[in-house]
Amino acid sequence: MASTYRDRTSEFRSLTETLKKIGGATAPRNQPENAPATSQASSYSRSEFNRKASRIGLGIHETSQKIARLAQLAKKSSMFNDPMVEIQELTGLIKNDITALNSALSDLQNIQQMDMAEGNYSEDRSVHSTAVCDDLKGRLMGATKHLQDVLTARTENIKAHENRRQIFSKTAARENPFQHQPKPATEPPPWSNSSNASENLQETSGLPPNGAPAGNQLRRRLAVDNAPSQQMEMSLVQQVVPRQDNYAQSRVTALHNVESTITELSGIFTHLATMVAHQGELAIRIDDNMDESLANVEGAHSSLLRHLNRISSNRWLLIKIFGILILFLMIFIFFIA
Amino acid sequence: MKITALLVLKCPGEGSDPVILANALDVSHFGYFQRSSVKEFIVFVGRTVASRTPQGQRQSVQHEEYKVHAYNRNGLCALGFMDDHYPVRSAFSLLNKVLDEYQKSFGESWRNTQADSTQPWPYLNDALTKFQDPAEADKLMKIQKELDETKIVLHKTIDSVLARGEKLDSLVEKSSDLSAASQMFYKQAKKTNQCCTIL
Repeated sequence: MASTYRDRTSEFRSLTETLKKIGGATAPRNQPENAPATSQASSYSRSEFNRKASRIGLGIHETSQKIARLAQLAKKSSMFNDPMVEIQELTGLIKNDITALNSALSDLQNIQQMDMAEGNYSEDRSVHSTAVCDDLKGRLMGATKHLQDVLTARTENIKAHENRRQIFSKTAARENPFQHQPKPATEPPPWSNSSNASENLQETSGLPPNGAPAGNQLRRRLAVDNAPSQQMEMSLVQQVVPRQDNYAQSRVTALHNVESTITELSGIFTHLATMVAHQGELAIRIDDNMDESLANVEGAHSSLLRHLNRISSNRWLLIKIFGILILFLMIFIFFIA
Repeated sequence: MKITALLVLKCPGEGSDPVILANALDVSHFGYFQRSSVKEFIVFVGRTVASRTPQGQRQSVQHEEYKVHAYNRNGLCALGFMDDHYPVRSAFSLLNKVLDEYQKSFGESWRNTQADSTQPWPYLNDALTKFQDPAEADKLMKIQKELDETKIVLHKTIDSVLARGEKLDSLVEKSSDLSAASQMFYKQAKKTNQCCTIL
């Protein structure tokens, strides 16, 4: 806000002074005294408007910076060390800032309305203040939109991580999670992806699925950490029970995966069936078109054949043609000669 | 994904040492001179782990580069020495199967043995070779693998069906063009036929 305007108030003031001196030499002496007072008061209120506007602009700038940092965090979060808490904090902070800025902006607008109602503001001043308000509102809306985009990107990230975690939980639990196995089944078919994208995941619902695979991971890590401590019997007894759970849990998850795979397969089969049905209809249309064109061609062929026959076998036609020619010749000769 | 040894032991509780009932080892990937020491090592570690596994519990212990999975069921304990890549669940299902098989074939006679039995049990040796691949041992994994393969095949099918749809589309276009052209041809032919009948 502060970058795009030049403060020419001093010039304006000197100009008014000179104009007054030129135009109203007989102007009452108290007017210049009032004028600075009123202009001071009006400039005071006006500069209060300006001050508020500049503060709001600064707030918006800071908030957009925070949103940019949030976007960076959301983009760079990998599967295993994502700064969940920090992101949540930052998002909450940004939301608070935005609501505060919203209320401040509405206050500013109220002030502007009040000032316009009570004082006899020039048109320029009202235009200027409305322009300032609109600019601030536009900037705030841009910032909120940016925040929305960042949040959607974050939820998509969480979903992708969730998918990858599910895939890794199917295979060996001891595999290095950072190895990206070339599993061809990870390419999601477009229809299932669209059905996934249609569910509107808020970021809060992104948190519990993040907690569940984290719990899985924790159990797996517990299983790995259990092993080296075989010397102490006490700790051994304590750790055996979660191991038992781990076995059952892993069986349960494996069964769930199998079940979901089977349902996916059934969906794929239904899709296949619909597509083949549609294409069957296409085939019928092609067939009809071909029949129609065959009939047309047959009809045209037969008529041409008749034509040919008529022309080639009609001797009487020749006699008729020659008769007409000779007739014309005779009439021609008759008229000339 | 390798199983190095499978053992079945009798664990009489916390008091005495477990007694080996059956034994199957695969030490072919060690050098010839290391084999006997490796066998000793496996027997010793097996006894230790089995003695420390309470009844009715499963346990996995990491020892150097092996994982030892132990399952104690009513005093009969089955152990498996596997490497780190072998999935835990398949390991335990394999141990389950071994125990069931042992109980089926030997009944309750093992409760009376006091010394390590040295007769080889062919089932255990067969199991060792057969279940080197974890998919064999664990039905769930096999099913999952087959389902994944089926899914891949279906994806390919759907792609080819989509291509077929496109081709059918182009065929529809061409056939409709053909029928329009033939209609024009028919009309023209009729027209040329109509006019010359008078003459």
